[in-house]
Amino acid sequence: MSTQYTVTSTPRAEESGAVALAVASLPASFGPVATGEAARISAIEGAPRWTTEAIKAIDGGASGIVVVNPVPESTAALLDAAEVSGVAVVLDQRWASNPGLAGAEDAARLVAGRAAMLDSVATAAAGSDPERLLTEHLAAVVRVTGGLDAVRVLRRGTHGYTVSGRLANGAPVSLQGVLSNSRPAGVDFRLYTDDGGVSITVPEPLAAWPAEVRATGPQGEILLPTLYESAHRTTWRRLKEHLDAGTLPSDLAGFARLTESIAHLT
Amino acid sequence: MSSHPQATPLGSPRPLGVGILGAGPVTQAIHLPSLARLRNILEVRHIMDVDSAVAESVAARVGANYSTSMDALLGDPDVDIVAICSPHQFHADQVIAACRAGKKAVLCEKPFAMSGEEAARISAVSEETSVPIIVGAMHTFDPGWLAAEANWGDLSENVHTIRSSIVLPPNARFEDFATEIITRPAGGTPDYSDVEVIKNALRGGIMGLAIHDLPLVRRFTPDFEDLEVLQARHVRPFGYVISLRSGNRIIELRAAMNKTWKPEWVFEAISDDAALRVDFTPSYVQAGSAVATITRGTTSTTYGPYEHNGYEGEWRELAQLALRTKQPPSAESLINDLTFAIAIADATVDVAAAEHANSHAGARS
Repeated sequence: MSTQYTVTSTPRAEESGAVALAVASLPASFGPVATGEAARISAIEGAPRWTTEAIKAIDGGASGIVVVNPVPESTAALLDAAEVSGVAVVLDQRWASNPGLAGAEDAARLVAGRAAMLDSVATAAAGSDPERLLTEHLAAVVRVTGGLDAVRVLRRGTHGYTVSGRLANGAPVSLQGVLSNSRPAGVDFRLYTDDGGVSITVPEPLAAWPAEVRATGPQGEILLPTLYESAHRTTWRRLKEHLDAGTLPSDLAGFARLTESIAHLT
Repeated sequence: MSSHPQATPLGSPRPLGVGILGAGPVTQAIHLPSLARLRNILEVRHIMDVDSAVAESVAARVGANYSTSMDALLGDPDVDIVAICSPHQFHADQVIAACRAGKKAVLCEKPFAMSGEEAARISAVSEETSVPIIVGAMHTFDPGWLAAEANWGDLSENVHTIRSSIVLPPNARFEDFATEIITRPAGGTPDYSDVEVIKNALRGGIMGLAIHDLPLVRRFTPDFEDLEVLQARHVRPFGYVISLRSGNRIIELRAAMNKTWKPEWVFEAISDDAALRVDFTPSYVQAGSAVATITRGTTSTTYGPYEHNGYEGEWRELAQLALRTKQPPSAESLINDLTFAIAIADATVDVAAAEHANSHAGARS
């Protein structure tokens, strides 16, 4: 029988990360901490200075940390602290943590050399912070495509943004953010090749809606197996795997690259 | 097969006669099949093409007369409506000639001119002769689009984002589903390192492909003269990524024409609280109308699919115009559509040339 890890969460992490639901859906692995006891896992909100909060949790004896929707900031000190203490830090990102993106990443890699264009649109509710949307959008895109070249912001405003870039083979990339209450929130990717491509639709993590990944080629179209697991639950399940195996996730290193990309956006 | 298969029942009014200038793939794969569905109101009576063999062969398919000169077609008294399906550079002069020939209505394939000066000449002749003209922007005649237009309410005033995304296989794939083509223009192997090739491809993409949706875009962009190109990039082998700002509206145009079998043609207009999405059927085939969905909050209403597409819609409209049972579109509206397209094409090729230069400089460094 595997270990059950006790969990504590900040109210904001609970709200945006649906922590109680994720923990309840992994009852053999995680459970609430008893009053007065120290939890082994801390869930924190990824608001500014989240890395400081995470270091505090490490200093307080946490074995694992879940950061919900982190904003870009330097992760160097946290990475050092996590490695020294052997603490697993996982990031629960709005779209990049969707379990369907693993298959999407493979499908995209297979056609990357023949890519002709990547067109991606992220949608969030009107009034959302477009800067935050761009971070979440870019995190999902680089998860699938790897790093982008020549990324620059063409415009940004209260209704969204347009960002241009290039794939490794020079093909044009366009990322658009749209703020509206009448378009389903989520992110949509279209990677076109000379004879088809890969399309990916990633839903919100509010429910276990599956991402849809379709690979289109001369022989037809394949819908990759749909995974009815929310990004939140996937993150917690991944944390459990690292804790049981004693390994450290690469989330912080990947996020450092994303932070650097965003810092260099012109 | 009879040379005049479209027999008219006794007592019915005689169908209007149609003459077509240019008998290439558009005429063969689009107009003749559309007209075949409307035999009770329209009858093809004259086909003109500079290639006599093509003119004769295409005319024989519908039992029509044929010729190799525009004057012969315009002088044919059986022709009431003229459709201009020739190469772009001939459109303006042929529209003007058809108006002066006293025909009842003119359909000109898009674009109906290649410059503002040509458009102004057409406008003047149309006003002088009172011959109604429509441009073959088929999506504006699509019943799905028209149903959306009748129901989108104040969306056009509040839109902040407009998207047109077009993914198409080579034309031949759908031409072959629509008819048996006699001749096709020869293709080439472009040199993408040549900036002039890129510029021509972009201009061709806008005036030949984007132009299908630019009249739709213009419905949502009243301040279209205030136009800024944010990016314009060529997509290989044929396509574009174009971002524009018009007033406080953002316009995103995407196109990819390649060897895929899977077409996708989507137009979207989005505000804070409402969104329109129109999924059009591919070109050439008679695959029914677009499906339009208007969403307000989380409630969506869908219009279509209806049985006919915009190609057939054009011809239905032409018949009404020729019979004077419907008011023609204003020449100003057609000119504004064209001016909008030319403005985008002009601005886009300049930006694309600069982007191309930067891209190649980056590749060398």
